Amino acid sequence: MSNKIIPLSDGVEGLFIQNHRFNTTSVSFNFYLPMQKSTVANNALLPFILTSCSKDYPDFTALNLKLSKLYGARLDSSCEKYGDCQLLRMTISVIDDKFSFDSDSLVLEASELLLKLVFNPNAENGEFKANDVEREKRKAIEHIRGEIAEKRVYAKNRMISEMFEGTPYGIPKCGTVSDVENVTVKSLYSAWCNMLETAFVRVHVVGGAVPQGLFENIKERFEAVNRHDITDCRICKPAQKTAKVNTVFEKMDVKQGKIVMGFSSDIYGDDDMSLPLLVMCDIFGGGPYSRLFTNVREKMSLCYYCAASSVRYKGLLTVDSGVEVENAGKAIDEILNQLEIMKKGEFSDSEFESSIKSICDSMKTYYDSQNSLDLWYALKVNNQNLYSPEDIIEKIKNITKEDVIYAARGVNLHTVYKLLPKEGVIC
Amino acid sequence: MLKEVIHGDIGESYVKAVHSSGLKIYILEKPQYNSCYAIFGTKYGSIDTTFSVNGETTSVPEGIAHFLEHKLFESEDGDAFTKYAKTGAYANAFTSFDKTCYLFSCSNLFYDNLEILLSFVQSPYFTQATVEKEQGIIGQEIRMYDDSPAWRVMFNMLLSMYKNHPVRIDIAGTTDSIAKIDADLLYKCYNTFYNPSNMFLCIAGNVETDKILKMVEGGIKESKPLEIERIKPEEPEEVLKSEVSQNLAVAQPMFCFGYKLPYEKMPSVKDRVCIEILLEVIAGDCSPLYKKLMNEGLINDDFSFEHFCGDGYNAVIFEGDSCDPKAVAEEIKAEIERIKNDGINKKLFSAIRSGLYGSAIRSFNSVESCAMQFVDCAMNDTSLFDELKYLKSVTMESVLKRLALLDSEKTVLSVINPLKED
Repeated sequence: MSNKIIPLSDGVEGLFIQNHRFNTTSVSFNFYLPMQKSTVANNALLPFILTSCSKDYPDFTALNLKLSKLYGARLDSSCEKYGDCQLLRMTISVIDDKFSFDSDSLVLEASELLLKLVFNPNAENGEFKANDVEREKRKAIEHIRGEIAEKRVYAKNRMISEMFEGTPYGIPKCGTVSDVENVTVKSLYSAWCNMLETAFVRVHVVGGAVPQGLFENIKERFEAVNRHDITDCRICKPAQKTAKVNTVFEKMDVKQGKIVMGFSSDIYGDDDMSLPLLVMCDIFGGGPYSRLFTNVREKMSLCYYCAASSVRYKGLLTVDSGVEVENAGKAIDEILNQLEIMKKGEFSDSEFESSIKSICDSMKTYYDSQNSLDLWYALKVNNQNLYSPEDIIEKIKNITKEDVIYAARGVNLHTVYKLLPKEGVIC
Repeated sequence: MLKEVIHGDIGESYVKAVHSSGLKIYILEKPQYNSCYAIFGTKYGSIDTTFSVNGETTSVPEGIAHFLEHKLFESEDGDAFTKYAKTGAYANAFTSFDKTCYLFSCSNLFYDNLEILLSFVQSPYFTQATVEKEQGIIGQEIRMYDDSPAWRVMFNMLLSMYKNHPVRIDIAGTTDSIAKIDADLLYKCYNTFYNPSNMFLCIAGNVETDKILKMVEGGIKESKPLEIERIKPEEPEEVLKSEVSQNLAVAQPMFCFGYKLPYEKMPSVKDRVCIEILLEVIAGDCSPLYKKLMNEGLINDDFSFEHFCGDGYNAVIFEGDSCDPKAVAEEIKAEIERIKNDGINKKLFSAIRSGLYGSAIRSFNSVESCAMQFVDCAMNDTSLFDELKYLKSVTMESVLKRLALLDSEKTVLSVINPLKED
């Protein structure tokens, strides 16, 4: 039964990821909706308001007390970007029944609690409660404004918004402050109805067994909903090549500068299309053996960190670096020089082999983390095939140095974002 | 090698062994797992600025433990990361107030990686040229932390809480202090603190205990245990100043509100469990205080607390973002006084105890978490299952006893305010 999609309703799937090694079982609801300026803020608030209170627990401390009584059951909620979609996640995880003092059915109780949170919010007459909405809006606004304190994250998000301006991927994942301010008790309720009616839905269970009757209950709940115009998660426009690199400066009271470089990639899409980009990015800037770490940081001492990452289905590769202002120009030149070296294939066999080993090694560790395994599958809905980490390991082993060189040749600089100290010359 | 098997009642058991050199070894086998996590560490951190061995006292520049951690990856025959690259392991290291740890995680070639770890940590190689290069890199790391409001709010609090204790020193030091570090000083610190009798090896995952012990038997250099006297200056019970603030690029104020607790000796497992429960009672997400602060818009989901303790220091710290940190501090103080008068709600206590018990069970899901818990066992000479055992029997009275340690006259409120607009 495990690792096979179980159709539950129109655009609703279940997936049981069997894994006996944990002391806990987790259940997650994953809702995929189109990323749009008009809906982003309402959608982003939903996982947070739904997991803070409900009809049965209208007070958040009462809900938290219930979770504590369930031996510290953990409720997590998040809003992420996924291709050109917004992914709303709500997860509950609880220790297995055998650990309870009184033979309680912890797993069944926790999964039923989550089901009720999703389907029975603290709402009446087409509206959420005003104090709940105000509380979640305030927290969301503080979170958006607080991003400025995490300079590395702030700089990366700024580059993305510049590079993908005017497209869904350029929209901040929780909206802007003004988007959140415009959320009302009614608009949020409409967003909840819309989520149940139109989102593509995947429910995951990770653990030893599926709680009795869970998938049947979910099927029943969704069959009572008027499902229509289900989100198509496969729609995802890749980053576009550009003739002229866009360079953006911003000055702040900081001591260390940040540079984030966004590259478009000709290789993009699902696993079958884009794995060479994964390997290329790893050799280029993945770990302490990579071109960027050994050259830009270690040999040239230009920065404290300099790393590359990729979003394969978007055809996006990013390099981010923490540098002194006077070294910014040299750091950019060297990063581009290292990319040229990748394109010419002037990296060694041992660098290639190290990367393959490291990626395969890290793939195996997915099985040792319940959260990681859950998220792995949540990020595979727009893939033609539902590959497990083991499947990907086999595919990675078949990638050649030529595949990596080909991937590198399709990587082109698109946008450079620099966050610099207020004093000092821009270089 | 002295070896004992320690059993818990949740289906886990582990081996603790002591090598003839004094090195402590902890191994938890998790045969169902793919991955393994290993930590080779030393009881040496940023607070160890003055020490005495065989009657000779040495004072070293701030940040040297962290500097040494960076340099140890380089050996005469190359860089440890280059060796790990051939095996595919993930490797890293960290220095904290009281320890330095070198770690790797992998799902293949565990014994090859263990050999690399044991080898490079025992092979110091420092030259003036490599020291100077590192001063540049660490200088940039220091500047990165100077920009970090989360880092500054905590260290500003420590600077105001502790007059003399070196816990007030920045772990990485300053650009001035690291400029005083040279190869000779690095060797001096290495030869003192990286003696195996001061070290520990902590492993969890898909491993074989006997194979590891055999490797370690022959893999640790011969040495005589060293008696290290860690010299700490006298620290008054009072705080230095009760408020401190700084302006950085934040959207709203960040705060760190700490109570300085008395210190006679390192808090025991019972002390730490009771204080953990106490903090949840005072300000956990089931508590009346949490409800009040959240409903009044004074805290958000980043609110947290911790018991912060080590050799010579003991504090509880509440942290978060708030439009009015002073109001949060006053409410915390008021709630503590209320609990002193009214006691603890029975249902709340029972739920919190169940919750912490469940969290302790959950922690065994992760090989990294198990290995890090072993580090704690090595540092404090405790067992992996002590917390779980005590959580089953801890009473409300024991928790209430610890409430007396929180003295509102010995608090520090550290705030990072937004920059003033020009």
